[in-house]
Amino acid sequence: MHIRVIIRLALRNLRRQLRRTVLTASSMVVGGGLLIFSYALGDGSHESWIDAGVRTGSGHVTVEGPEFRLTKRIEDRLPTNVRGEVEQLLASPEMASQVVAVSARLTISGLASSPAGARPVQIMGVQPIDEASFSSFDEQLVEGRYLEDGDDLAAYVGVGLMDSLDLRLGSRLVVQAQDAEQEIAAQLLRVVGVFRSGVPQVDQSVIQIPLHIGSEWLGVGGDVTNVGVVVTDSDTVAGVAARLDNELADFVSRGDAYVMDWRESTPALASAVAIDEFGNHLVWGVLFIIIAFGIMNTVLMSTLHRYREFGVLQALGLTPGQTGAIVLAEGMTLTAVSGFLGVGLGLWLTWYFFGDGLDVSGLIPEDMEFSGVIIDPVIVPLFRVARLAQVFVFILAIGALASVYPAVRAARIDTAEAMKFER
Amino acid sequence: MRNVPWPRLGWRNLERHRKRTILTALGLAVGFFACVFIVGWSQGIMNEMVESATSLVNGQVEIHDAEYLPDRSMYDTIGGRGGADIEGLLEIIEQDVTVIAAAPRLYAGGLISSGDATNAGMFMGVDPVREVRLTRFLDELVEGRLPLSGQNEILVGEEMARQLAVAVDDELVIVGSGADGSMANDLFTLVGVFRTGLPDLDSTFTVMPIDVLQSFVVLPANRVHEIAVATVDPFGAPTTATRLADALPEGGSPLEVVPWMELNPALAEYVALGDSVYGIIVTFVFGIAIFGVANSMLMATYERRREFAVMLALGATPRSVWAVVLSEAFTIGLFSLALGAVLTFPLMVWFHNAPPDMSWLYGDLALNGALLRPSLRVEYDFAFAGFTAVSLLVTVVLAALYPALRAGRTPPADTLSGL
Amino acid sequence: MSAAVIEWSGMAKRLIAVLVFGYMVMPSPVVGQTDPAAIMEQVDRLLRGDSSRGVATMEVVTENWERRMTMELWSLGTEYSLVRLRAPQREAGTATLMAEDDIWNYLPKVDRTIKIPSSMMGGSWMGSHFTNDDLVKESQLTEDYVVELAFEGDRDNVAVWEFVLTPKPDAPVFWGRLEYQVRQDDYMPIWTRFYDEDGELSRTMAYSEFEEFDGRLVPALMEMQPIDKPGEKTAIRYEELEFDIGVDENFFSLRNLQDRR
Repeated sequence: MHIRVIIRLALRNLRRQLRRTVLTASSMVVGGGLLIFSYALGDGSHESWIDAGVRTGSGHVTVEGPEFRLTKRIEDRLPTNVRGEVEQLLASPEMASQVVAVSARLTISGLASSPAGARPVQIMGVQPIDEASFSSFDEQLVEGRYLEDGDDLAAYVGVGLMDSLDLRLGSRLVVQAQDAEQEIAAQLLRVVGVFRSGVPQVDQSVIQIPLHIGSEWLGVGGDVTNVGVVVTDSDTVAGVAARLDNELADFVSRGDAYVMDWRESTPALASAVAIDEFGNHLVWGVLFIIIAFGIMNTVLMSTLHRYREFGVLQALGLTPGQTGAIVLAEGMTLTAVSGFLGVGLGLWLTWYFFGDGLDVSGLIPEDMEFSGVIIDPVIVPLFRVARLAQVFVFILAIGALASVYPAVRAARIDTAEAMKFER
Repeated sequence: MRNVPWPRLGWRNLERHRKRTILTALGLAVGFFACVFIVGWSQGIMNEMVESATSLVNGQVEIHDAEYLPDRSMYDTIGGRGGADIEGLLEIIEQDVTVIAAAPRLYAGGLISSGDATNAGMFMGVDPVREVRLTRFLDELVEGRLPLSGQNEILVGEEMARQLAVAVDDELVIVGSGADGSMANDLFTLVGVFRTGLPDLDSTFTVMPIDVLQSFVVLPANRVHEIAVATVDPFGAPTTATRLADALPEGGSPLEVVPWMELNPALAEYVALGDSVYGIIVTFVFGIAIFGVANSMLMATYERRREFAVMLALGATPRSVWAVVLSEAFTIGLFSLALGAVLTFPLMVWFHNAPPDMSWLYGDLALNGALLRPSLRVEYDFAFAGFTAVSLLVTVVLAALYPALRAGRTPPADTLSGL
Repeated sequence: MSAAVIEWSGMAKRLIAVLVFGYMVMPSPVVGQTDPAAIMEQVDRLLRGDSSRGVATMEVVTENWERRMTMELWSLGTEYSLVRLRAPQREAGTATLMAEDDIWNYLPKVDRTIKIPSSMMGGSWMGSHFTNDDLVKESQLTEDYVVELAFEGDRDNVAVWEFVLTPKPDAPVFWGRLEYQVRQDDYMPIWTRFYDEDGELSRTMAYSEFEEFDGRLVPALMEMQPIDKPGEKTAIRYEELEFDIGVDENFFSLRNLQDRR
């Protein structure tokens, strides 16, 4: 029997019990719409966390000395030639399109002193323009200005440190650390700007200075401690990391360099995303089970009320398999049409009302941080093709699952017995 | 029609369409399970975070000298420079019914050295016996055992142990400042290594007996910085704190009795946020379920329109027809609840007592100074389960309202004549 | 973090800079005009030596405690120094060695030596009001500061100069300015005033009890006073002092550090 006939029979049945169809379809439409809404916001917020997280840390992908993450010593820095190679690769046409920001940094622990005392600090030598597009430090300005190209002895200091060292804009402070020769070297700095990140440790210990000052002070020439990269979105990370690893294979094997993606450099962030996604899957999995029961109910009822009809059809030559197929088609069509309608509606509504972002700042506490990253209360939904495909497959699967039992029942209808029914 | 046995009629109707009843009930039961389980898991997460931020190391309520925070000067001990009757205070505190345990602490900063490696760290003097009743971080040591009072024994965090490359039984040189300005130094034996999971603590904290630390920094036995208190319910900390503040004597210097919410407001807010979401979850779940029930009820009433027509023809009021339909709905509700309970209860008990390990999905996560470990542990919340049950019944009745109305409006004559 | 520890461990190469007086060039008669920089250089050189050995007592008064210590100090240039406590009795033998950029502490009570990373050099030296910074100065005052004569004349019947030292633009110093009062006839400093960048007086150092040690005139008593904590001060007094003692780098060894002599 032609598949088209089966479909036609299925559709006709749906139309005959319009109210029932519509009611069941509604649950699917609402479900589908809310599902896509929830996932779009979920994906959007994860992307936002990742973006914020990598910009606070060392980027989606970072290239550093293999030992550096563990020892944090200047001896384990990235040599100039490797740095040059990395920067060249990132600027090349094949990669440039995926790269949003690159920042080469020289980070070291030291001591900062002022007339009021001394404190341990993390000094980051950065290139102001690169760094400004990479991290959000420049946006956290509360006083003065961010570092600029051409700055010399400028320091960009957190509010906590300003307080503990009793500093003001323009104040002198002296930083000391062990340089490349293993000797203690001192460097004068003047505060040009103050930032507030909202994370106490950062506000009390991070100082940003121009990279060339850091290099001179520590005698490292063109070397840096890491090169961080922010890419367009988290999907491109794997490709970029693999590419870099490939091109830098020589350096990597010699132990001069190591390529790391954000999951490795900030595992807590990866965990947070995983847990949130899991929660979402769990909730929606269950909700759709409920919807599936509804669908099963409807399809089953419609089957059980058409015993005679199926009996007649079978008497006319319809095989049990084909009978089952009709019911299956009915269930799946109901699900698919309402599901896709729901998803489409959800997509459009989400985009229309919240395309610019949903502001949940009323719901979450101010200054909420996890693992040192401040959460942005505005969530911009992210519509991913992969996610959409996932959702469609899921809906079809639900439709199929819900229709299996009714289809089997229909297939098992005994033609003679069926004739005894009214309908 | 006053003596009509509505429940029986309702039940009989349901029995006649067993499959439909069961499927509808299953949908609702799954909804019930979903709400209770998801909220249970969410509460499990919140509880774990509050636990790690409090029971792990800090305690739910902390008592200090009013001047102690935020500078944490060594000299601002409880009761001021003259100290206080610590045992006496502890007794008073432990008399409160909501208090599980209380323990004194002393803090000092200094250096820990082994061979060529020296680390800056924080020394925490504790009463080993009282401390384990109060906090959890010493319950499962990575290595070794607790220090004994009066002995130069010390515990360090896992990360510090790694950085200093030391293991149990190794000797450590401990250097600090005495309260008299002298340079305090002594040899300690490492007797244990702990792991809190919070990187800051594991790399900078060390634990030693409080009497030993007191003599090390040249402070008398009646001077401590903090008394930490564990309460039965973390969320009851504020009331306990207020009560303790009244019960404790003033002494040489005013005291501050602070619940954990004041010390970690971000976490407190985060938890409160969680609570507000539960209502939304219930609405979502039953909002979806309502379609299924409505559908089911509509089908049911439509099929039995002849029956309603007969009832009405015989003189029943529309209201009694509503009663039939609604009681049917209510019965489905009760049945679903029973099913839901059967489905939910064992799973909740299982996941509460033997939560599956989720480390395949995620690792330890630090949030607002609290630690989240990867496990799917759920918490019981009978109040919420009750609320969900009521919501379920309300959903069912709401879903049946329209079908009931329609049933009541069945035109008897037309229906019976076959239209 | 522990104040006393980090300070004690901050054994300065240039500890001697403040405590032990090295050469003092015999004052040459001032011919014609005063050259502020040259004079300051001489004053500064009071504070540097080739090699020297001394015994001093240090008294520290803080809000919370008072302490008196007696110590023996050796130095060689700016890279090496050894300080050993003689009193109080229970801390006698505690010693700090600084050789090039490494610092070690010997703790007699436990008979152990620990190595302190220089990154742990915090604020004050041995709990006193001197900072490690005061002592770790490798460069001369005249390298980091521009010296100007502010006053030449009599104060309390003593002929003095008063100099104002302003930091050179890139000098790694955080003071806003320094002021020195120096005796004209023997180049002895009388006081130093340290100002922060806002022009606020932060602390003062007073020199007195000028004595001859090993043929040189030095102020035997130095007192440092913080302005924001009026009751507190640190006073160092020299009991013994000798120069050109003929030690070399090998003297500044771990073995000598642990020597309880």
